[in-house]
Amino acid sequence: MNEHIRSTEAALAAFAGHLDERYRGVCSALASRLSDAELAALGQEALKLANHSLRSWEAADELLRAAPEVLEFRSFEALLAWGQRGLELADYSSAMARSYFEAGPQVLRRLDDREAEEWGRLGITLYRGTWKSISLVSQFYAQSATLLEHLALGELRALVRSISDLADRSYDLALACLDLAPRSLAEAERADRGALIEFVSVIVEHCWADARVYLENGPALLERIDLAARGQYLRLIASAASTLQRQTYARFAEGADALAQMAPDSHCVVLRQAEALAVRSPSAAMAYLKSVPDVLARVTPEGLDSWFERGSDLLDATVEGGEAFFRLESSLGEEVLDGLSPRVELDRVADILRMYCKALTGDDVAIASSSGLAERHIGWISSDMPSTEGGSIYLPEAIRQYPDRERNFGLYKVFATHQAGHLEFDSFSFQYDRPGAVFGNSGRDRLETGPRPEGQPLTEMERFFDLFKDRQLASDLFAIAEDSRVDACILREYSGIRAALREVQEAEIAGRDAPESLPLREALVELLVRLSLDPEAELRWPGQLSDVLRRAAAVLTRVRAEPAVVEDAAEATIALYELVTSLPNRKPDEEGVEPKDWQTFQQPGEGQMDLPKGEESSGQQGGTPGPMEGGEEGAEEDRPYTSPRQVAFRGEFKPELVQLLQRLRQGGPQDAADGATMPVTQEQLQEMLDKSVEITLTDAEDAESGSPTGMFIENMLKEAEGAPQKSRQPSDGADGNVSAAEDDTPLAEEPRYFYYDEWDFRAGDYKPRWCRVIEQKLEEGTTSFYDSTIIERAGLINQTRKQFELMRPELFRKIKRLPDGEEFDLDAAIEYIADRRAGHTPEDKLYWRRNKIERDVAVAFLLDMSASTDEEIDKHRSGHPTDNFDDDPRRYLAWWATRSPGLTKPPKRIIDVEKESIVLLIRALEAIGDTYGIYGFSGYGRDNVEFYVIKDLKESFGELIQRRIDKIAPIRSTRMGPAIRHTTAKLLESDARVKILFLVSDGRPQDHGYGRDRTEKEYAIRDTKMALTEARRHGVTPFALTVDRNGHDYLKQMCDDMGYEVLADVEALPRRLPMLYRMLTD
Amino acid sequence: MTTTQSGTGAATFRTFAIEEYVSHEEPYYLPVKDEVELFTAAFREKVPVLLKGPTGCGKTRFVEYMAYRLGRPLAVLKEQPGGTPAPGSAAAHQGLPIVTVACHEDLTATDLVGRYLLEGESTRWLDGPLTRAVKAGAICYLDEVVEARKDTTVLIHPLTDHRRILPIEKRGEVLEAADGFLLVLSYNPGYQSALKDLKHSTRQRFIAIEFDYPPREYEAQIIAHEAAVAEDIAHDLAKLGEKIRHLSDHGLSEGVSTRLLIYAGKLIRSGIPARRACQVAVVWALTDEADVQRSVEEVVSSIFE
Repeated sequence: MNEHIRSTEAALAAFAGHLDERYRGVCSALASRLSDAELAALGQEALKLANHSLRSWEAADELLRAAPEVLEFRSFEALLAWGQRGLELADYSSAMARSYFEAGPQVLRRLDDREAEEWGRLGITLYRGTWKSISLVSQFYAQSATLLEHLALGELRALVRSISDLADRSYDLALACLDLAPRSLAEAERADRGALIEFVSVIVEHCWADARVYLENGPALLERIDLAARGQYLRLIASAASTLQRQTYARFAEGADALAQMAPDSHCVVLRQAEALAVRSPSAAMAYLKSVPDVLARVTPEGLDSWFERGSDLLDATVEGGEAFFRLESSLGEEVLDGLSPRVELDRVADILRMYCKALTGDDVAIASSSGLAERHIGWISSDMPSTEGGSIYLPEAIRQYPDRERNFGLYKVFATHQAGHLEFDSFSFQYDRPGAVFGNSGRDRLETGPRPEGQPLTEMERFFDLFKDRQLASDLFAIAEDSRVDACILREYSGIRAALREVQEAEIAGRDAPESLPLREALVELLVRLSLDPEAELRWPGQLSDVLRRAAAVLTRVRAEPAVVEDAAEATIALYELVTSLPNRKPDEEGVEPKDWQTFQQPGEGQMDLPKGEESSGQQGGTPGPMEGGEEGAEEDRPYTSPRQVAFRGEFKPELVQLLQRLRQGGPQDAADGATMPVTQEQLQEMLDKSVEITLTDAEDAESGSPTGMFIENMLKEAEGAPQKSRQPSDGADGNVSAAEDDTPLAEEPRYFYYDEWDFRAGDYKPRWCRVIEQKLEEGTTSFYDSTIIERAGLINQTRKQFELMRPELFRKIKRLPDGEEFDLDAAIEYIADRRAGHTPEDKLYWRRNKIERDVAVAFLLDMSASTDEEIDKHRSGHPTDNFDDDPRRYLAWWATRSPGLTKPPKRIIDVEKESIVLLIRALEAIGDTYGIYGFSGYGRDNVEFYVIKDLKESFGELIQRRIDKIAPIRSTRMGPAIRHTTAKLLESDARVKILFLVSDGRPQDHGYGRDRTEKEYAIRDTKMALTEARRHGVTPFALTVDRNGHDYLKQMCDDMGYEVLADVEALPRRLPMLYRMLTD
Repeated sequence: MTTTQSGTGAATFRTFAIEEYVSHEEPYYLPVKDEVELFTAAFREKVPVLLKGPTGCGKTRFVEYMAYRLGRPLAVLKEQPGGTPAPGSAAAHQGLPIVTVACHEDLTATDLVGRYLLEGESTRWLDGPLTRAVKAGAICYLDEVVEARKDTTVLIHPLTDHRRILPIEKRGEVLEAADGFLLVLSYNPGYQSALKDLKHSTRQRFIAIEFDYPPREYEAQIIAHEAAVAEDIAHDLAKLGEKIRHLSDHGLSEGVSTRLLIYAGKLIRSGIPARRACQVAVVWALTDEADVQRSVEEVVSSIFE
């Protein structure tokens, strides 16, 4: 027996790696557990393995190494069976066998015998006979232990199947995935693993190339989805993958992102809805998922459901339409959302509010979003609070505080009314020397003694605030007094808004800090804020100090009364300041202050209308003149004063800055009694900004530039010059613009932006605000082109001009034989009498009148400036003429007839002919006096439709226009739809009776993204057609003229029942265009 | 009835009462500035008057009022041959007759002066309103005169200077204006377009009295009187008027007229809720543009509860 062992050992010694020693070690370790025969059998097994092939000894080594461990939980027979299968593996590759044995102990622990056998075979399914597949198999065995930690064998089987499929495409990818698998699975939740495996198999089937990304990022993405919904989501994606193909991953990630933005408990519901859509259109389902957060930002969860229902119904009717709906790219979708959404956006109501504020104030008030004001960095920082800088009213971009639109709009109205109130009731016209209507100016007189300290204050407000030591407190009190006054004025003037205002005020009070928690001074200020919101508010205040409260309240009551003006608010500020600073800024329970007897007061200001005048306050202040003390000496431990919470609906109130802006804009002090008009210096600005509490520079601004105030001053000055006043709100009807530039230097023409919908014929709906048209004046060149054309084409010009002039005399024509008119028609009258005498029934149409038909035509020419107009006509022609004409012999003849003359001339391009025709037309049109505009268009992509003004409808012809014609040149693509829509909009502004849109182009519409792909014509043509139809619906007569010889087929489709003409010969354009024009307008 | 006509019998004239129309009750008019004095002086001195001002600000009412005022002292001077006073009214109160012609695009010289009509085998001449006013010594009020054709306006030239004559070409006659005759034009600079401006040769024959909507306090008084509403309602309506007028040229081509405000007041008096009354009488009457309507409605709802 020992011999058996020994001989085996000797045989093993023949191999590298000291197999004999390994065997000896195993024998001694296992001597107690195995019989000699068994040990010998093990040795034989190893020997068989080692003998199998060149490097199989390594596998044998691993077998021997693993044996003792395996025997710990397996019978000897099982061990042998395991070894046997390893031997079979060695038939494929010894490396496979080796890693099989290496992984053995760890794997076998987790599997029973039958499973172990299957595991061995699983590896073989990956084998393809190449060295790469061998390393894949080895990798599989090596990873198995970790994989089995997370997966049941069945799941592992599925995974291996996917890997195997993947390996058919790419070993590297398969290897990488196998590598990633354990980690991904470890990250995934137990319950998701099965789904993930199944998911991977679907992915491999449909978009195998992305498999790796899924494994890499999938778990992290899934983690953001509610635990209960993850499997559901994976199944959804898996079902969508067959349709989405390579887009699957992008949709998967988007969907997960979107879900992450929702409340976890809604995931299941949303996914169920998505599943319902996925059956009909996976794209729609994924679009739906992606859009949900955006939709939820606008509507309530119930609203989401009805939105979903509408989209779902639409999907049944038209798949494309439904998909566009869920992508939020359809007008219908917008409409539905609008209907469901309680949110009111400033964009939509700005015009209404602008006119409303204009009506209230009588000034040209512009409405803009607060964020726009904040971004100008001129002192206003809040991007969502209402405010005004004296010329415009700034409001938050959207309001969704209430669940219905009505009330949200009401809130806008309250905001706007308050800001308009500042303008209407002159909050910013404070003048230091003007007495108040209620209080006079005793307070100011009392406080100001002797000459003012240093320098001239820049504004009247600044001079006023200079009176106080604690500027912040004074500023807060002034805001309270003034806001209170303005609100009172509003309530008096506009009783209709009372209810809405009250509601907002009450909501504001309810949300404010309790005064009990504040130090005394701040508590008093807080109470004043409450009083300003509601004079009947219940106030909590220490009973011992009731007198202070009573007096303060009395001041506010008087500011609210009828004749009070802004100067009264200033006087009130002084009185309040004295009252507030008479208190220590400590909490009542802190040391030194006893009162704890908080009581409730209501209407403390009523019935005691005496004002704290000078005498009273001098009792407290010791009558010391000079700048008002902020806090008494001996009150060192006082807390620093902090402002009360801003009242949301009143927003930011910055009288000092507004006055400064006003002054900068005017270039001098308005009518300060003693101030000579002089320019504002940097130093003065600097000084004022340092003092003012209305400016808080944010950290970001500090960091951006070395001197934050420097940048600030720059912005301020820029603002005053009025340069980029409203650059971020370029609306079309921009008559609300604040102040135009006051300097004489012409500013570079800013392009104006317009947005237009685009027609998506697949969805059968508009894509809202899809295209951006950038309108700008065309550059000016020289007049040489114009001049030379006039000379070259003199004959033709004279001819057309004459024809046009002939149209004029028809204007006054005598129309005879009318039943009523200016005068008897003598002939008819004689005939009448003659008839009568003769006994016939006379004709009673005896009058004539001048029929004055005024020629009332506005026409817009829209020139195609796309790159294709660069083509030379001759080259075009000499290319393959027969190709182009073969379908129409007449066109060929036309070409033939005009072919010869141009041959010797320099090459002419289509655009040159377009330009020539324009010159000709201009000459003719100037003779007849019709209103006309000339525009060019080009661009690239939907957000970049360039629209060039060569001559606006309102502009008169002159050298400028001649220069612009010179610069007409081929640029880029042809997105016709938006250009037509924009031209139509321009025509509609004219009040001419006949409006004509004349489109001159050289080919079909074509642009990046104008259609599903570059070759698709249908989309662009349908949109263009829709644009032309819209024009006609608005009473504009469209006419398309094209010089594209292949144009017939698409023009027919584009203009089916509208006027169009295809010019056979490009060079006929100059002759044809005026003729067509005459026909159209006659 | 002050009938100083000549020619055909009084009975024939009675059917054409245009120049006989006088008001027997004093029309309500609240003078804002010195327009009453100006008009009186112009009347005495026989200087034609041009009334400028937007729609519904009270031009026509002013003319009626002045005709009444000026008529009283004159009535004493005038004889009253056979004319029967209006039933029930004392003859003491008689204003000047006013011949009002609403001018329109197709108004021709013939329409103003007169024309031949065929009557049986012969023709008959029919005086136009202007001719009648000239004969009757009435105030001839050409409303919205820019609307009329240019040749019409030239026709009035000889009437407006020292000559005070109206040539009737077709009959080969020249008519000298009776004593009380005064030509008054009204004209709304609001619609002014290059096409429809008054020619300078016409313009410079008139003194011009400018009208505008009355200030808030006055307008409130007028509304309170005309619509017979409470003072606070009248005041709110006047406030509304002022606010809406801020919008003229900014969405509205013209501000709201006092007349519309009075209508609103009348509706309110009849029990229509204020907001609704303003909606129908003011908002919808003013404009068809939805956005502007909305803005104005917001102003209404701010002012009225």
